[in-house]
Amino acid sequence: MKTAEIHVTVNGVPYEKSVPCNQTLLRFLREDLFLTSVKEGCDEGECGACTVLLDGRPVNSCLVLAAELDGREVLTAEGLAEDGRLHPLQEAFIEAGAVQCGYCTPGMLISGIALLNLYPHPTREQIRKEMEGNICRCTGYTRIADAVLLAVEKMDTARAEARAAGLPEPEFRGIDGRFSEKWNSQYQS
Amino acid sequence: MLPRFEYYAPADILEACRLKAAGAKPVAGGTDVYVNMHGGKEKAAEVLDLKGLKELQGQRLTPEGLDLGALTTHRHIEEWEAVRGRYYALYQGCSQVGSVQIRYRGTLGGNIMNGAPSADSVGPLLVHGAEAVVLGPAGERRIPLEKFYVGFKKFDLLPEELLARIFVPLPPDNAGSAYYKYTRRNAMDLALMGVSAYVEVREGVLENVRVALTTAGPTPVRSHAAEAVLEGNPVSDDLIVRAAEAAAAEGKPRSSWRSSAEFRTRLIHDVTIQVLHEAVRRAEMERKAEAILRKLYPGQIGKGGGDDENS
Repeated sequence: MKTAEIHVTVNGVPYEKSVPCNQTLLRFLREDLFLTSVKEGCDEGECGACTVLLDGRPVNSCLVLAAELDGREVLTAEGLAEDGRLHPLQEAFIEAGAVQCGYCTPGMLISGIALLNLYPHPTREQIRKEMEGNICRCTGYTRIADAVLLAVEKMDTARAEARAAGLPEPEFRGIDGRFSEKWNSQYQS
Repeated sequence: MLPRFEYYAPADILEACRLKAAGAKPVAGGTDVYVNMHGGKEKAAEVLDLKGLKELQGQRLTPEGLDLGALTTHRHIEEWEAVRGRYYALYQGCSQVGSVQIRYRGTLGGNIMNGAPSADSVGPLLVHGAEAVVLGPAGERRIPLEKFYVGFKKFDLLPEELLARIFVPLPPDNAGSAYYKYTRRNAMDLALMGVSAYVEVREGVLENVRVALTTAGPTPVRSHAAEAVLEGNPVSDDLIVRAAEAAAAEGKPRSSWRSSAEFRTRLIHDVTIQVLHEAVRRAEMERKAEAILRKLYPGQIGKGGGDDENS
């Protein structure tokens, strides 16, 4: 076949689309849905600028076909803010000065979300290892790691305040605990 | 941007075999095939997505060993605690492929079938005595992985056959393994040299030793010369150095823009020493503690699956 019909949920919004079979997820997000936070750096899986969460796991969207998306969920950096309020990780990137030219930033945010799902209280070493697939050519890595640690503090503080006030703990986009089930089912049916 | 192609994602294995025999390019994670298409090296007019084939899916640890669907991702192995303890070299190899994003997509079957001499999961599979299980219209064949490779990107595989599963026997408690990948960067880099070793240690004597070299020839290869030096002999620093010399003499690395053959030969020598020491240490120390605990708590620290949410 040359085109595929897909039902896909992107940043919580369901879409029904017909896509050419050689279209990558990267092109689909940028050109069909205008989600231009997803950057084309190398287009061959080296740089991580196009990283998105696919069913909760970080992937290089340049190496995934849009035709594979039927029934699946995608999260991009556009999906992190809620009701006009930035995600704690986004706030932390600004406050820690983790953004220089900005090209790698959306991919860094997504890899940061993925790593916080796996390690809610990561060490610097875990941050380095889990974000190894994202290249920053301004070489601002130290502040990016600082920002992830700051985001952890922010989320912990928000949770503690909610508990102290007797309110339900706040939820943060992309950090949802359902991490592995869907992904594994892809290979296990 | 990828070139135009026809896309097939069959759920039926015989349909997949027919499409492959007719020339469609099999794809699993796409972390090699789509990269090669983007670079213009791969020009297939038809792509055969294997991810819907149940014969290639799933993975479990049984008392006999590790039964891995060819679609098992590197990340799956990396996160699988029970595999880390028993197949340490495989854990090390899989956790050093590409990057996190690549490891979530790239598969063990794809790593084998891409045929790169530097494939990180293949040396560890070779030293753990893995078998390739291939499926075709005529049924199933099981081939030792070492024999499955017949040349540079060439396999003992008919056009209508697919690599379906990989079987890795369960190592005994006195076994240890290790893999060392020498690179210039910590991520997204190919091995300049990779050495894998598997040993069993019985009262200080090495048994069933297997050593494999990656990036030291047209395919990942066993170093039978190094194995012959070690087999049946008591562990000693001197013995390990002689094995490393044998491995370096046997390896046939080539010069490329990445590194000269001379440097790679020297690496075989030095890295083999490190890997053998690590494998012996793991055989004698880490596994011993696990074996004692298993005796103290029979059935609870189980062989086989069940202690892993992924299995």
